[in-house]
Amino acid sequence: MRSAWTLRIGLLAAITCACLGTPAATQAQVPADFFRQNCSMCHTVGGGHLIGPDLEGVTKRKDRAWLIKFLQSPKAVIDSGDPYAAQLLQDAHGLVMPNIGGMTPDLASALLDVIEGAPGPAKSELAGVAISDRPFTPSDIALGEQLFRGEQRLANGGPACVSCHTLGTIGGLGGGRLGPDLTQVFDRLGGRKGLGAWLSAPPTQTMQSVFRNHALQPDEILSLLAVIDDASNHSQPANMSSLAKFVLFGFGGMLVGLALLQLAWRGRFRSVRRTIVRAQVRGEQ
Amino acid sequence: MNVRSQISMVFHLDKCIGCHTCSIACKNIWTDRKGTEYMWWNNVETKPGTGFPTDWEDQEKYHGGWELHDGKLRLKSTGKAKTLFNIYHNPSMPTMDDYYEPWTYDYQHLFTAPAGDDQPTARPKSMVTGELINIEAGPNWDDDLGGSPIYAANDPNLKGLSHDTQQQLMAVERLVFFYFPRICNHCLNPSCVASCPSGALYKRGEDGIVLVDQTRCRGWRACVAACPYKKMFFNWDTGKSEKCILCFPRLETGQAPACFHSCVGRIRYLGVLLYDASRIEEVASLPSDKLIEGQRSLILDPNDPEVIAAARENGVHESVIESAQKSPVYRFVKDWKLALPPHLEYRTMPMLFYVPPMSPVMSNRTNGAIDHVSDDLFHDIEDARVPMKFLANLFGAGEEGPLRYALRKQKAVRWYRRFKTVGDVDEKTAMRMLSEADCSPEEAEAIYELTSLCTFDDRFVIPPMHREEAIQMMEDPLEHKKSVGFGFLSGPKRGM
Ligand code: SF4
Ligand code: SF4
Repeated sequence: MRSAWTLRIGLLAAITCACLGTPAATQAQVPADFFRQNCSMCHTVGGGHLIGPDLEGVTKRKDRAWLIKFLQSPKAVIDSGDPYAAQLLQDAHGLVMPNIGGMTPDLASALLDVIEGAPGPAKSELAGVAISDRPFTPSDIALGEQLFRGEQRLANGGPACVSCHTLGTIGGLGGGRLGPDLTQVFDRLGGRKGLGAWLSAPPTQTMQSVFRNHALQPDEILSLLAVIDDASNHSQPANMSSLAKFVLFGFGGMLVGLALLQLAWRGRFRSVRRTIVRAQVRGEQ
Repeated sequence: MNVRSQISMVFHLDKCIGCHTCSIACKNIWTDRKGTEYMWWNNVETKPGTGFPTDWEDQEKYHGGWELHDGKLRLKSTGKAKTLFNIYHNPSMPTMDDYYEPWTYDYQHLFTAPAGDDQPTARPKSMVTGELINIEAGPNWDDDLGGSPIYAANDPNLKGLSHDTQQQLMAVERLVFFYFPRICNHCLNPSCVASCPSGALYKRGEDGIVLVDQTRCRGWRACVAACPYKKMFFNWDTGKSEKCILCFPRLETGQAPACFHSCVGRIRYLGVLLYDASRIEEVASLPSDKLIEGQRSLILDPNDPEVIAAARENGVHESVIESAQKSPVYRFVKDWKLALPPHLEYRTMPMLFYVPPMSPVMSNRTNGAIDHVSDDLFHDIEDARVPMKFLANLFGAGEEGPLRYALRKQKAVRWYRRFKTVGDVDEKTAMRMLSEADCSPEEAEAIYELTSLCTFDDRFVIPPMHREEAIQMMEDPLEHKKSVGFGFLSGPKRGM
């Protein structure tokens, strides 16, 4: 009997511990997700330099208080003339780290915990999405172009790039003009590595809301990188002349449309009285 | 035989003096409201001339009426598929300019103008936009302008006339014109009714008056394009179409329509015709040289016992049959064959008929004396200033035969009456003319009497309408007795 009771109490304790333990795990999960969604496009932990520095061992390079302050407002620290911050700025080619919304001291501290590798398994995830380093092949470029144009759907159902962006090599009237022209984005966002990270978790508000639930696959990113790289090597960004082309095309289309309308309704009624009177008056002159 | 009754009209053009009294009577009663300023349900045109709206008879432009396609009737302006395709923009719609922009004058300026060296003037002002405008056209802009190189020369009825004849019409010594008063023809095969996508137009069962249901009209204006006589008008204020209602409220109380009642020349006749509704489509699809005869054959003899029995069976009231037996229209159209429908080639089977006008006699000057006698007693019919072909285009669907017949008969009656009253024509000549014109002395007397001595009651034989009796079944006709107010119970409004 006693052993039975011991067992019951033991089980109860185990369940309670498990229950209490779960929130603890979740708490570690939140900053990890936050990192993936907000930091991983510029930073890795042990994955190397992207746009921003590799954060491996960051807590050893600088003390926690400084880091928390920096995390809350990078610009304020840079503006204060802090030499270390100035050095970082230089390393990032003058790109100021943006203020991250909702960055409380608690969250910053939790993030540092995650980076330090507090709950072991999370760390490997923070190394960034593994995108192959192999050189781009023509078939990568071809596939990338198909993905860009939407001829092939993105595996997770995200919208095709062309709906908002254009690319120098895309031809025709170009792609969408809602988002920026991507012809030169390869260099602008730090080359293969930086752009790859960027694409794995797009940071801007628009991109984020669109791709949060439709993340790109590593092989898709590779193909897209290939086509974007190809564009930056082979073409100029869409300039005024392509815009003029667009307007011209619209105008031409309108003329064709009007001509079609005229053809369809050529037998329509036209002014009778004025025509008669004018013809006679002209005849007399 | 499907016998129905229709209130029909005859206009005797030889009597019209072009005074426009009829138009004014109509305007004062029906179209002095906002949105109807440009409408003339009754208008009087000068022929040759282009009329109102300008050149309305040119269906190459206006696309009104029906056309034969593989022996089948179809609307020129629209059709089932076309209606849908053109519903937001009917390509056959006349513009305001083809009617005219209605105007008033800025009278207020006469009172408010500051003192100056000159008299103030009241400038014309559009009744549609309120802006000052230059008047370029009006509803009878070509009034009395026979021979005008703009208006008379563009009359579509000149088609088919030789160049010389056309030139002669414009020559000063030969100038001629006559008046052509027009209202809605309350057609037997109305293209306006057929074209309406909303089914708002209908032909009243008991008297054939064509009306627009103002609550069902959606303002598509298909009827405006489809009516070849351009007697459907669009009210730009209410957004609904309107047309001549043959003064049915007056008819229902036993009065002649306002234009008939006020006609100075007493040219207008009104009465019931019985017709065979089962043959309308067949007759309307006849080749154009058979149309006049065909339409006449639709109109049934109200004294024929068979017709009377069929009419009774169809619910035509006894009093209406009696009225049809006295109808002056029946005599002009069927008995005497004097009255002809306008432009029957539009195939709407108009039920308003015209007695064609006798134009001035052509005379020759021989040795200083004016001479207009010839062996051929009817030579002046052929040589009349208004060419026969012109009248045939207008009233004969292009055929001269029925016109020649009607004009010869009219002339024979005149000479017969000259023999009777003046005595400068001998009996032999008069009788020869009558027989050559297919007319007996009794018929000549009857024509003379109904043309010249006709009283109010001879001209207007209005059948009792029995509307109240029919309405009694649904509501109490005395319900509003002793209450006040008139006008719309609920005004027509734009939209649904
Ligand atoms: S004349 Fe009258 S009934 Fe005939 S088509 Fe025109 S509007 Fe309709
Ligand atoms: S009122 Fe009679 S006579 Fe005068 S214009 Fe009208 S139809 Fe002719």
